[in-house]
Amino acid sequence: MGDGRANNPNSHSNNNSSSNKPEWLEEYDVIGKIGEGTYGLVFLAKVKSNRSKPIAIKKFKQSKDGDGVSPTAIREIMLLREISHENVVKLANVHINHADMSLYLAFDYAEHDLYEIIRHHRDKVNQAINPYTVKSLLWQLLNGLNYLHSNWIVHRDLKPSNILVMGDGEEQGVVKIADFGLARIYQAPLKPLSENGVVVTIWYRAPELLLGAKHYTSAVDMWAVGCIFAELLTLKPLFQGQEVKGTINPFQLDQLDKIFKVLGHPTQEKWPTLVNLPHWQSDLQHIQGHKYETAGLYNVVHLSPKNPAYDLLSKMLEYDPQKRLTAAQALEHEYFRMEPLPGCNALVPPQPGEKVVNYPTRPVDTSTDIVGTISLQPSQPVSSGNSVSGAMSGSHVMQTRSMPRSMPMVGIQRMQPPGIPAYNLSQAGMGGGINPGNIPMPRGVAPQAHQQHQMRRKESGMGMTGYPPQPKSRRF
Amino acid sequence: MEKSHHFSLSDLLCGEDDSCLNERGIKDLGSVSEFDDEYIKLLIQKESIFQSDGNGFSIESEGDWLKCARLDAIRWILETRAFFGFQFDTAYLSIIYLDIFLSRRSIDDPKLWAIRLLSVACLSVAAKMEECIVPALSEYHVDEFNFERNAIKKMELLVLSTLKWKMSLITPFAYLDYFSAKFSGELRCDELLKRAVELIIDVIKEVNVGEYRPSIIAATAVLASHDYALMEKDVEIKTNVIPSWESLEKEDLFSCYNLLRKCKFAKSNTPNSVILPNLSSSQSSSDHASENSSITSTVGVKRRLSYPDGDRCCPPRP
Repeated sequence: MGDGRANNPNSHSNNNSSSNKPEWLEEYDVIGKIGEGTYGLVFLAKVKSNRSKPIAIKKFKQSKDGDGVSPTAIREIMLLREISHENVVKLANVHINHADMSLYLAFDYAEHDLYEIIRHHRDKVNQAINPYTVKSLLWQLLNGLNYLHSNWIVHRDLKPSNILVMGDGEEQGVVKIADFGLARIYQAPLKPLSENGVVVTIWYRAPELLLGAKHYTSAVDMWAVGCIFAELLTLKPLFQGQEVKGTINPFQLDQLDKIFKVLGHPTQEKWPTLVNLPHWQSDLQHIQGHKYETAGLYNVVHLSPKNPAYDLLSKMLEYDPQKRLTAAQALEHEYFRMEPLPGCNALVPPQPGEKVVNYPTRPVDTSTDIVGTISLQPSQPVSSGNSVSGAMSGSHVMQTRSMPRSMPMVGIQRMQPPGIPAYNLSQAGMGGGINPGNIPMPRGVAPQAHQQHQMRRKESGMGMTGYPPQPKSRRF
Repeated sequence: MEKSHHFSLSDLLCGEDDSCLNERGIKDLGSVSEFDDEYIKLLIQKESIFQSDGNGFSIESEGDWLKCARLDAIRWILETRAFFGFQFDTAYLSIIYLDIFLSRRSIDDPKLWAIRLLSVACLSVAAKMEECIVPALSEYHVDEFNFERNAIKKMELLVLSTLKWKMSLITPFAYLDYFSAKFSGELRCDELLKRAVELIIDVIKEVNVGEYRPSIIAATAVLASHDYALMEKDVEIKTNVIPSWESLEKEDLFSCYNLLRKCKFAKSNTPNSVILPNLSSSQSSSDHASENSSITSTVGVKRRLSYPDGDRCCPPRP
């Protein structure tokens, strides 16, 4: 992979541990820090031999003394090494700093993400995202997700900040799913996810998870895509629940309340397995005592019920995970066959004369050194004693046998841009999966805090202002 | 640590409540769905992509010391698996890591500590891949050595980079349920599956993990758990239901089946002894002369371990 230097058996012994700088770092010009979270730091760098190629280098924070290499890092890297798709972030290299045994992941860099794009439209240009861009972003997101699902990988933590979009360059406007992480890919046995393990950010969390379902299926990702689709249309999170914090995996009543208010009361008719879900039974008076009015989704997203976009959205937001649209089915939806047709460059509509929005680039903090950043870490507010590196701890490999429906095996490649060289720019997904409660976790099931937001709050200290109120990070 | 003076797989199995077996869905005796077929097909494809380059290591060509050190490492891994209650495929995966490591790097001279450190690192990495509860490094007990945790971590990193960070490798256990459903239908039972698990563990001691594809080992273990007297034609007919193998691999099926059969007979003929020289950690190795060396010598074209007398093979423990 990559230049393979970190993997070269000989490079280990040649490594000059007396020098402060690891040898592999000589390949890069490090420009500065672009992200920070409990998982560690993300730096922007350029490859010296190819100055036009930006790279995001994610430094994993050191694991707790005595635990060795963190399981989160192991699973994340394993997964990243196995996947390859134009709409999925590309791991370019793994580096080890032998002096302190820290791990660095080098990713192709992506300048934008949906969180920033949505925020820019809402707060700066005050204008909806154009329909071509919405459709192209959604199509590519589904295309990448279909690939992951076909390979038995469930992302589990899809949210706007994890959906990257390439900036200027040959891959401009190409979506890259990032921060999916740690889990093994095949052979996933039937093992319930642990109690502390529900990881999807609460606003994008599927109702079955909120009601205590123990198993992930690919349907949880489709729910998140539905929420993201609505957010692309309205520039506002669809279900902005107040997160209950404190205990491990608490019951998120407010989030469910927000969902039921828009989609209506869930019934056993619509969702037969509903009655088996733990919280549906135990929190009877809270949920079932409440009568929610009829659905009003079209009012929230300002779409006519006859609009194919509305039809697609409502099928992604189906309560029953078994009836929820799959990524492959969504790609076949009528919405994608109508004008404007989706394209590979989501940011630049094919029709000349269409206005192109210039999104801001990521701010870079040039004051932080990539080596010797250990001293920075004690200032991390969430770095509880056992916190370990590990972004991208979100995803989980799908259960193989308990899957409620068969996975489509179709590889939808129709958007593959012909002749695009293997020059995948994308970025390590700033933020996203952190795993403060780390080590003993089942197959990459890590508690997910809103690290993205936390990180961005930190960034705002680096000169970015105007952030909307964000949910605080959950602590475990 | 479970101390079994006469170490054998059945000790390991009996020492547990078999929950590890049940977890794998054995209770579910439903029929095989189309979804399973697709999944298994994908697995078989993937095993050839990811595991084809791990074949360089030939135990046969290595010195006796290394052969013995490998068996010693496997013994330690299996004991430790039982101690922590890991799944069998965790142990198997760590043995794959071990074999790949040995095939890509060389350990000069008899350095038992290096093999021990490697065993700990391989099992620890496999546990981090597979297990819900991962022990701290300090919980791994190695009788003779006291490894610093940083030393283990360093070895973990060396293992990971030697694997080129491709840790997700397929083990035969991934196929067990499917093949037992395919081959035995209603005859499936826990007892047979347990026997298949034993056979898989036995065979990994016999051959380097790269020698047979995991699916071949799984299929033949399931067949052998039922019946040790199949002819080549029977094996072929039985396994024709799995379309993914190519003709070359079909030849492997029978040779692997024969190997399993011989493991089985060797075991039943010499109840206390066995395939491994120097099985118990408390015994010195010299009293294990057995006819083991004849077990495998007649089988097939594959290179495989031969077992010289234990005392020649294993150095005394420090």
